Amino acid sequence: MTRTGDMAPIVDFHEVSKWYGNVIGINKLTVRVPAGVTGLLGPNGAGKSTFLQLATGQLYASQGKVRVLGQRVWNNSGINREIGLCPEQDAFYEWMTGWDFVYTSARLAGLSRWAARDATERTLEAVGMTQYQGRAIRGYSKGMRQRTKLAQALVHDPRVLFLDEPLTGTDPLARHDLMTIIQRLGNERKSVVVSSHVLHEVQTLTPNIILLNHGRLVAEGNVRDIRDLIDKHPHQIVLICEEYRKLAARVLSWPDVEGVRVLSQQKGIMVETHKPDAFYGRLPELSLEDGMAIKEVYSEDDSLESVFKYLVNA
Amino acid sequence: MLFQFEGVTKTYGPVVALDNLSVTAPAGAIGLLGPNGSGKTTLIRSLLGLTRVDRGSGHVLGMDFRRRQLDIRRAVGFVPEDECLFPHVVGVEFVTYAGELVGMSTKDAMQRSHEVLDYVGLGEARYRKVESYSSGMKQRLKLASAIVHDPQLLIMDEPTNGMDPRGREDLLELARDLTHNKGMSLLFSSHLLPDVETVCDEVIVLGRGKLLTEGNIQELKQLHNRSFEVRLKADTGSFAERLKALGCGAELRDESLVVQIPEGRTQQLLWEVAAQERAQIRNLRPQRSTLEEVFLKAVEQA
Amino acid sequence: MPIFDQGYQHWKGQLSGHAWRWLAITRHGVRIGMQGRVFRAVLLVSLLPAMALATALCIWGLVERRSDLVSTIVQFLVSAQILSPGIVDDPRHYRLEIWTLCYNFFLSCELTLSMILILLVGPNLISQDLRFNALPLYLSRPLRRIDYLAGKLGVIAAFLGLAIIVPCLLSYGLGLLFSLDFSIVKDTYRLLLASVAYGVVIILSAGMLILALSSLTRNSRWVALFFLGIWIVSNIASGLLELADREQRRIAFNREMTAATPQKTPAPKTREERRRRMEVMNAAQAERLEKLEAQQTEASKSDWRPLVSYTGNLSRVGRQLLRTDACWEKLSEVQPLALRKRFLATWTGPQYPWYWSAGVLSGLFVLSAVILSFSVRSLDRLR
Repeated sequence: MTRTGDMAPIVDFHEVSKWYGNVIGINKLTVRVPAGVTGLLGPNGAGKSTFLQLATGQLYASQGKVRVLGQRVWNNSGINREIGLCPEQDAFYEWMTGWDFVYTSARLAGLSRWAARDATERTLEAVGMTQYQGRAIRGYSKGMRQRTKLAQALVHDPRVLFLDEPLTGTDPLARHDLMTIIQRLGNERKSVVVSSHVLHEVQTLTPNIILLNHGRLVAEGNVRDIRDLIDKHPHQIVLICEEYRKLAARVLSWPDVEGVRVLSQQKGIMVETHKPDAFYGRLPELSLEDGMAIKEVYSEDDSLESVFKYLVNA
Repeated sequence: MLFQFEGVTKTYGPVVALDNLSVTAPAGAIGLLGPNGSGKTTLIRSLLGLTRVDRGSGHVLGMDFRRRQLDIRRAVGFVPEDECLFPHVVGVEFVTYAGELVGMSTKDAMQRSHEVLDYVGLGEARYRKVESYSSGMKQRLKLASAIVHDPQLLIMDEPTNGMDPRGREDLLELARDLTHNKGMSLLFSSHLLPDVETVCDEVIVLGRGKLLTEGNIQELKQLHNRSFEVRLKADTGSFAERLKALGCGAELRDESLVVQIPEGRTQQLLWEVAAQERAQIRNLRPQRSTLEEVFLKAVEQA
Repeated sequence: MPIFDQGYQHWKGQLSGHAWRWLAITRHGVRIGMQGRVFRAVLLVSLLPAMALATALCIWGLVERRSDLVSTIVQFLVSAQILSPGIVDDPRHYRLEIWTLCYNFFLSCELTLSMILILLVGPNLISQDLRFNALPLYLSRPLRRIDYLAGKLGVIAAFLGLAIIVPCLLSYGLGLLFSLDFSIVKDTYRLLLASVAYGVVIILSAGMLILALSSLTRNSRWVALFFLGIWIVSNIASGLLELADREQRRIAFNREMTAATPQKTPAPKTREERRRRMEVMNAAQAERLEKLEAQQTEASKSDWRPLVSYTGNLSRVGRQLLRTDACWEKLSEVQPLALRKRFLATWTGPQYPWYWSAGVLSGLFVLSAVILSFSVRSLDRLR
């Protein structure tokens, strides 16, 4: 699958497997994560945490090669300068203040004292924690802790970021702010891998996803492209029109339409087709025909949620 | 009328959790929104009679929450946010015990427990120890134990936190069914606004202990009459130019175009341009503000 | 209609008032407690003293009726100097005393076994609820904190009741049956009430203590350890303190005696003189020992050291309730005069006032109640 603006992969997994005793975590996974924001999805137990741990060098792959920015990650502490990790677990030094924590992370990443101080101030400002930076972490709410975790991952300006459930527990305000930050990072051509269960958030952040299930790669790429390739489920396109029954009759005459359902409450019809491209192409002319003015058109299952459901529950 | 607060104030030391709050909630499915520290948790606790308020009065299901706390809890089911379990029992015993604690006899509780476990979809798993359940199953178990005594009001506090998409969908489906088909009222407190939209019809937004806004979700999400959200298959550049030339406002937001159609014209204008440009319109909907926008606006105005 | 709704159904049953809510909690706790294999074994073992008590009372009943069935046993007991012949001659006179002593031995065994039972089932009561965060589930239901705590205490009461109070009652009944003499009730009904009261004291005191400890932490191991400390370490500490005290007194006494003895007389020459000297010395020695013992007994009347031991306090209150010391005194009448004092000194316990022990136990009870009211109130757990 090609994407616009394809660049050299920043995170590269080549036939990677990882097992714990008899239990398999990742099964022959080959995937390349380019620059920009990528969503990492999958049900519980799919191997997302294993993926992140392998990519950050915390685990050693039982088979295969893991490379980040062209280098091996295992046993390579130098690469950590370029990697930022915002883990799912909530583990801090509770007695430290927010400022201390992020500053220490910056220093540990190799920044000099002055650079670290600057970076800490900037990052805390960016995540919106400047007001509370002097308070001990034990007094932080869940949202504040998440922001501090994100700050710690960003402070050394890494090129690759791994965010595991970065928005849990945050209220909509914080969520909005943090999503803006993540989008900005993606625009700056950094590579950001966001693992999340909250599909509509991932959908807002990026159309590019990696979907795992049972430790294997199920799909990779742009959500819409993936949707087009799912043959088993025809596309469901809703058309709202005053004369919806006439529209239905008209549409049924097309050979690639497989089914039409009448939605009388909404004054529209739902069309099923395996050739959405051709269907959409004919719509403008259809709408301009007499009495067939189409007021709304949308696809119920063109979303990430539907793609996920079709691929995972299959 | 579900619950009603009048001038309720509650402070914890220097922190004001509820500030002279007056709100009336109708029966049905209500979402409770608010930034952290807005007083949502305190509101729920006062409803259940778990904290005493400093000033003000209120009624839940017609009962005064300062005096008839035990009666209120008999008619209310609560699904707490944190992980909670009665340890060392199997699923059925868990729900039966939960029923007994409300005052059901053991026989009633046992019969009802199986009924409710069927409903939430815990089949054979009900005979396993609860410590072995996955997080999705634990949430459903908590829901089962909250509805075992057939409450009039169900309070759910961040129920979908941390659940995977399948689990989330199941739980929201159950919540929707209970409120829209089975006549139970629901107070749904969550940070995940799309979840609230899926389940609830009304919403109450709190901020810093005060009421910021409340009302029907569909009404709050105003319809912009002349504004449409348009997504095309391919490049939007030339399409937008054409539209602007014809007097429409067109601005790119995320992957879609937000188009303002001038007076006197309809969507047909867009189809015309599409035919000319040989573009495919994949999405054409009247623009509605999302619940997130409603929320952010309400908070900003405070 | 032919097809029935498989979905959610409404329920129109009755909900009972919350007066009986504690019972549900107790039943639940008992069921969980019985899951442990070790606990079940110990519970069985704790029924053995009960059987011994029942047997003893039955034998005594038969002794009263001068039944031939027990004559061999009685002869054995007399020859082993457990029962003195004076008692066997007139059993009815000593009925209350013998019953009291049987109950006393039974209850002292059960005291230890109760501590073990509490150690096995007590720590989990509240600390597991804290660990698994069950408190929100409890508190959001129509029950008050007091119902919750009463229910948990009920678990302890159920198990200890089974080990202590039920055997007391059943053995009483059996003893009654085997003597076929209902005048026993007039003599011994006080004993029955006292033993049940003692059981209740143990349940309330130890139960509240373990609940308070259990509510302080999520880790039940710490609770068990702490309780074990209170039980065993306080026992040992009290014993050591008493021993040190007695030794001090003995050394001081000896020093006094040596200072008071007259100058050394010239060494005896003949065997006759040596023998007489020996006699005098032995008599003096015996006299001194008597004086020392009298001093020790006098001192023990105001000795605070036994108060350190938790179980010591419980048994002191028990002795007072059952009036065991009075029984020993009556029994010592059968002993020859010379040995009476020695007999009493061996068998009766420390003679400090019982209300000191009662005070210590009440203090612990109040402290436990205060701790419970604070730790179960904290709604932060409901975050």
